[in-house]
Formats: sequence, structure tokens, C-alpha cells
Amino acid sequence: MDYKEPKETYAGVVREVTIGKGGKALKVGGENILPLHFFDGGSLPNPPRFALEVLDMEPADKTPHLIEPFGDVLSDPIKWAKKCEGFGVDAICLSLVSTDPAEKDTPSEVAAQLVKRMVSEIKKPLIVYGSGDEKKDAELLPKVAQVCAGENLLLGPVQKENFEVVGKAILDNGHVAIAQSPLDINLLKELNVKLCKFLPPERVVIDPLSSALGYGIEYSFSLIERVKQIGVMTKDSMTMMPIIANLGDECWKTKQAKENKTQGLLWEGITAISLYLAGANILVLRHPETLKSIKETIGR
Amino acid sequence: MIIIGENIHVIAKDVSVAIRERNAKVIQGLAKEQTGAKANYIDINVGPMKKDTEETMKWLVNCVQEATDLPLSVDTMNPVAMEAGVKFCKKRPLINSASGKTDSKAQMLPLAKKYNCDVVISVMTDKGMPPEVESKIDSIMETVSYANELGIPNEAVWVDPIILPVSTAGEGQKIAVGNLEFIKILQEVIPGVKSTVGLSNVSNGVPAHLRPILNRTYLVMLGRNGLYSAIADPLDEELMAFMQGELPKITDLIYRTMDGEEINLSPLSQKEVAYVKTARVLMAQSLYSDAWLEI
Repeated sequence: MDYKEPKETYAGVVREVTIGKGGKALKVGGENILPLHFFDGGSLPNPPRFALEVLDMEPADKTPHLIEPFGDVLSDPIKWAKKCEGFGVDAICLSLVSTDPAEKDTPSEVAAQLVKRMVSEIKKPLIVYGSGDEKKDAELLPKVAQVCAGENLLLGPVQKENFEVVGKAILDNGHVAIAQSPLDINLLKELNVKLCKFLPPERVVIDPLSSALGYGIEYSFSLIERVKQIGVMTKDSMTMMPIIANLGDECWKTKQAKENKTQGLLWEGITAISLYLAGANILVLRHPETLKSIKETIGR
Repeated sequence: MIIIGENIHVIAKDVSVAIRERNAKVIQGLAKEQTGAKANYIDINVGPMKKDTEETMKWLVNCVQEATDLPLSVDTMNPVAMEAGVKFCKKRPLINSASGKTDSKAQMLPLAKKYNCDVVISVMTDKGMPPEVESKIDSIMETVSYANELGIPNEAVWVDPIILPVSTAGEGQKIAVGNLEFIKILQEVIPGVKSTVGLSNVSNGVPAHLRPILNRTYLVMLGRNGLYSAIADPLDEELMAFMQGELPKITDLIYRTMDGEEINLSPLSQKEVAYVKTARVLMAQSLYSDAWLEI
């Protein structure tokens, strides 16, 4: 009897989303197989993409082994971003943490101008996260979208409280939305349904919230896994978007990561590789050595 | 379908105030309204009722019985309140509810024998809620056979598989499908038993204006699979219309969705489309979100 390979093919395809423009353009997603199911019938046109995170202010956390690779550029986000480019990233992720009213409450216009300068000075596409404060972001993110019109930023977080105003600015100014919901697949789908009533689904990336190893990673893992399964296997249009796992900051908040360098790199590395296995398409890290070791592990 | 009217419920503020102040008018108004809407039983949900148990139950039961001739479903987890309630019932009441928990077997189930009542028995055990259809069946078989030993026949038992919110991330839809399956096979497994559900729990946590369509659709689906009764809102006219067979076209659409048919939505009315989408969600054919009707 002939052996026949048990090969699955699936109906759903994760949408291929482009971020950045021109020579910087980067494609993410596009797969119609489950993560790492290379043996099944289908393809994964784009490998996982890695970004390093840059803050718009000097980080309060001075953990020596975390800040050491960046030397004296930590007070200058543009230099910091350029340094990251030297570590072989696919994209830069700028977090506008200083805009948070609980931080420095930096005015939206000031933050937007920084984003604009960074876009013009770096060679990689830019991911931009706002303050995370839904009220501030309702003002900040539209401002960033306008000032950087046409740059095709990956911009967010778009949350259920502010999706109308932020989503509209993203639509009008030619960017891609990071749709963020708190670790719940039903809420995640609801946000996508509402957002995609006016924003094309090819301009949405899902951020399901990424928890660090030991701090709830299992929730993030199973959620990402499920989003992929529902999208690829059942062809649920509203979950067929690429996923961004913004995990670096979560990992470096942990006491284990701060304790010593080896442990910190492992903490971030294991979190990242786990969420990659679950199906994340973009992974945002903090430490360049984590980036290096993950790339070696994945072997590309 | 036997409808057990759910509206006299202590969680409703006007009901709890009315009980405390012995305001018969409010309680009797609810009883009459539900009777007029063709409910078959009136549920009296008093919660745990720790204070003045005997006296309150006597007042409440008599109060409702003055307003309606319908039999009562006495709804409490407190066996003292239960006994106080069923004692004063003129018609054969329904004990709502017992379960496979040790306490319930020892204190609640014997009341069904003592007062010759019907009794709701849920699938709960000391270990909690059995997660799968099979473990629910195992648990209920055990509890029903215990009831039989006490002299309660299958015909007096109303099995409750426990409905949970469909909106619970991850598990809700799976459980909704499992309970449909449970009701479908129940008669084969324990011939002669009746069945009931706390229907509105399926839509718990869902925005208020979206709850009725979930409740109605799920009841139609459960009814198709042989459900005998439900604790539900008889004042929902559309729900009652389904139960009277007055909405055959939508009922048929729901059945066909249950059978996995890909229904062409374009010739359907907006309302029909909404029911098909709701049935799809309850069959777990499409991932639940609060925006399920908007897709």
C-alpha cells in the first residue's frame, strides 16, 4: 500500500499587510497555514518580523544589562533608533511613553514632530505606539497620523474606547492600525468588526496584548494560537489579520529579567520564541542580544 | 414547551423591596402578567433567604397563589426556605433546584418525596460543573438513580444541564453546543425524565438589547432537540410566539442553520438574517463577539 502524506489545506489566509512605503515597505502575514506547519498544503510568504523598541524619553529603568548595548544614545530617540538599525531589525518600534498623562504628558504636537523626524531619518519602517491612555491617544494618534500622512506607519493602540476617531485618522492619512484588546478573543473580534466597517481589513494588525513568561504568557499564547486557528481553519474574516506581539517591555518589567543579564535575555527570548510558535507575525523586543539569539534559533 | 415565568426574582430590585415591605400588589402584578402571557408555571426565586424564612415564604407563596391558578416553581438553594415554600403550595409544585452535591442530595431531594413534588436536578456535583457532555451525563445518571432510590420516579425529575453565557471567551460557545447535544441524547440515556434550563443565562454579559434574540434562538434550538421546559421570560412576546409555532419560517431557518446548511442571506429580511447569524454563533460556526449581528 502506498503511503500518502496526511496533508491539510485550509480555507483561510492571513491578510498580507504592508507597512512603511517605497524602499522601506515591509510585508507581514499572508500565510494560509498554521504556525510552523510547513508540512501542510500552503505557504508562509513572509517570515516573522522583528522590531526593537525605542522610547521617546530616557528610560527610568536603568537596569545596567538592559541599557548597556545602547551606550549614550538613550536620551536621543533618533540616535537610539539608528543604533537599533545596526542590530539587524526589520522595523523600529517607537513608544511614545512620555505622552502619558501619568508620565510627562508631552504634547501631541511635540510627539508627532518626533515621529516625523524619525521617519525621515531611519531606513526601516516605523511602528508607533501611543501612550496607552485611551483619552490621550484619541488626540495624540490622530495628530501623529496627520503629521506623518502617507508614511504608512503601523500605528496604535486603537482601542474600543477610541477606535472611531483614531481609526478614521488612520484611514484618512494612509496608515495601518494596531487594534488592541485585552486578552479576549471575543472582544478582539468585536473591535475588528467595528473598525473594519470603515477601515479596510488589510490595514489592521491585531495586538492581543502579550504577557511575559511567568506573568500570564499562557493566556497570550493560547489567544494568539486561537486567533490563528479561527482565521486559517475556519476562515473567519475578522481574525485573519497578522498579529503583533509587543513583549519586550513586559519582559523587562519582571524582576527576573532585571536580576542578571543571562536571565534577562532568556526571559525575553523564551517569551518571544513562545509567541512566535503561537503565531505572532511581528515581535517587538528590547534587547539586541535577544534579537540575535532568536534569529539564530529560528535559523534564517 | 412548558414556560416557567422567571420574573419574580429577588435580584430584581422592585421584587426584593416588595418582599421586604410585604407589598402584595407588585408581586401579584408580576404573577398576573405572566399568567396572562401564557406561562405554565410561576417561578419564585428568593435567593438564599436567611431571615424570617418560614414567615416570608408563607406570605409570598400565598400572595402569588391569590393572583394565579398556575403551579409554582419554588426557586432557592436553601432547603429550609424550600420546605417552607412547598408546604403552602396548593398545586403540585416544582422544587427548583436540587443537584448532585452531597448537601443537596441529603436535604433537598428528600423534600421532593416528602411533599410529592416535581424536582429540578442539575448536573452540578461536589466537584462543580462537569466540563463535557459525557461527564454531565455521568453525573446526572448518578443523581437521578439516587433520587429513584429515594422513591422519586424519573417522570418527576426535570434535568438541568446548566446553561452558561455564550459570550464567555473560549468556552461559552462550546458549552452552548454541548448543552444542545446533552438535551438531544437525554431521553435515550434516562428515559422518562423531563428537562429544563435557565434560559436567559445564555445571554448573560451580553448588551441588554441583544439578549432577547440570543434567548429566543437558543430556546428554538433546544426545543427542536427535545427540551421539555425553560425558565424564561413569558413577557417576551416573540419568544412566546416561537413557542406557539407562530414563526415557522424563522424556525425553519434556525433548524437549517443547525444542520450546517449555508443559507443564502440575500433574499432574507433583516430580521431573518439576524436569527440565522445568531444560530450560527450558538452552533459555534462563527466566533462570538458582541458585534455578531453587524458582520
